[in-house]
Amino acid sequence: MKILKAIGVLVLSLSFYGSTLQDIPSKLKAKLETAISSTYEVESFELQEISKSDLDLEADPKYDQLHIYKILKIDQVLGYAYLSEANSKKDVFDYVVMYDTDFSIKKSKILIYREKYGRQVGSQRWLKQFNGKTSENNLEYGNDIAAVSGATITATAMTDAIKKSLKQMDILKSKITD
Amino acid sequence: MVNRILSLSAVFLMGILSMQAQESKKVMDKDAIKSMCGCYEVSFKYTETFSPEIDYEKKLDYTAYALEWAEVLDEDKDEISIQHLLVINDSTVIKHWRQDWLFENNKLFSYEADNTWKFYDEKEAKVDGQWTQKVYQVDDSPRYSGTATWVHYDGKTYWEDEANSPLPRREYSKRDDYNLMKRGNRQEITNEGWIHEQDNKKIIKHDDGEEELLVMEKGYNTYKKVDDDKCKIAQNWWKENQKYWSKVRKIWDDIYAEHAELQLKKSVEGRPLFMHLTPENAPSKKDIRATIEKFIVKS
Repeated sequence: MKILKAIGVLVLSLSFYGSTLQDIPSKLKAKLETAISSTYEVESFELQEISKSDLDLEADPKYDQLHIYKILKIDQVLGYAYLSEANSKKDVFDYVVMYDTDFSIKKSKILIYREKYGRQVGSQRWLKQFNGKTSENNLEYGNDIAAVSGATITATAMTDAIKKSLKQMDILKSKITD
Repeated sequence: MVNRILSLSAVFLMGILSMQAQESKKVMDKDAIKSMCGCYEVSFKYTETFSPEIDYEKKLDYTAYALEWAEVLDEDKDEISIQHLLVINDSTVIKHWRQDWLFENNKLFSYEADNTWKFYDEKEAKVDGQWTQKVYQVDDSPRYSGTATWVHYDGKTYWEDEANSPLPRREYSKRDDYNLMKRGNRQEITNEGWIHEQDNKKIIKHDDGEEELLVMEKGYNTYKKVDDDKCKIAQNWWKENQKYWSKVRKIWDDIYAEHAELQLKKSVEGRPLFMHLTPENAPSKKDIRATIEKFIVKS
């Protein structure tokens, strides 16, 4: 399998700060790598984890599950990946929001979902409405963001998660541009 | 004594009636198979449906249209072989797939991934009253086979089965995220022609043999019968080329008989097998065999 081979040769650098990719379960790691590879259309890339402690995000209830990566190809920054977890009705799901270098959303994906209900939120037909959004956009569920029949809890949770992601990435942007 | 004669007569009569019913069913089966021959306007439609993984992104639907000629190559008591030919832009003919139908046949082959097929014997009791469909590629190499009963009930006539097969031609050189297709084939004869309905599973077969479902796919191919004259160019093309392809089939039959497992190279000298099989050069049987041999991976 060419994709598996490509992923096998990915060079994943370890951050000097905080946790590393090794802290992520292997299935989630593989899905993250596949999502980045297809979204940025690169077979090999490097991930540098950005320290959360510099961003004052301790108030985030999902702080432990949150990982923010800078995506690099050789020395070129391709964008950023915001990997975290959110609550569905009775469980949690893992998602990634991938950003362009201007900190607008390039693509978001739900990577692992653990319930039988609400899976339709993982469809790009719904998720693509977040593409291009920045922290300046309103994202009110049911108004700016289309509601999903039969998946209200998960769709609301994903909308809130993306709003939070945009807010936190705005802090990162201000730190980088300071 | 009279009772005994009556009993024996009844058993004999029931046996005769049962045999007649079986023969009559077999005639209906053969009529159904042969009704797939002729000139058809074909519509091919495929769409991916369900994936167990939430992050899988369904690929675009596939649709195509074609004119296709199908004719019987060989027929005997327990076997019907049908060759399909595509007509492109009313001017070009391309040899397409071949389907062989064999009654109560227990010699089958199954695709194993990595361009490898295994040949095996099914239990004879399991194929009782059934027809095997063996499908071959454009170069007459194997594709998939399966065995099931032709069903004639409630005004419907169909045959359905699931078989392991390689990636379909439309994805063969474009996809590498799965390596085995479990084809759910349903061929139904209709008033307009026939329908090839598919419920496929795209599978990642791992090295340890474990099979992981990537995504399911619905296929809906309709064959609408049109006047045979529309396929005249294909009929003529086949008349000119059938001797060559008859040789190719015989060579393959010999090769199948020699192998319990057959692994084929996807290309030699940068070209797939069908591009090496050129009737224009009128090669001998020996030359054709040598060409095909180049594609067989020697174990």
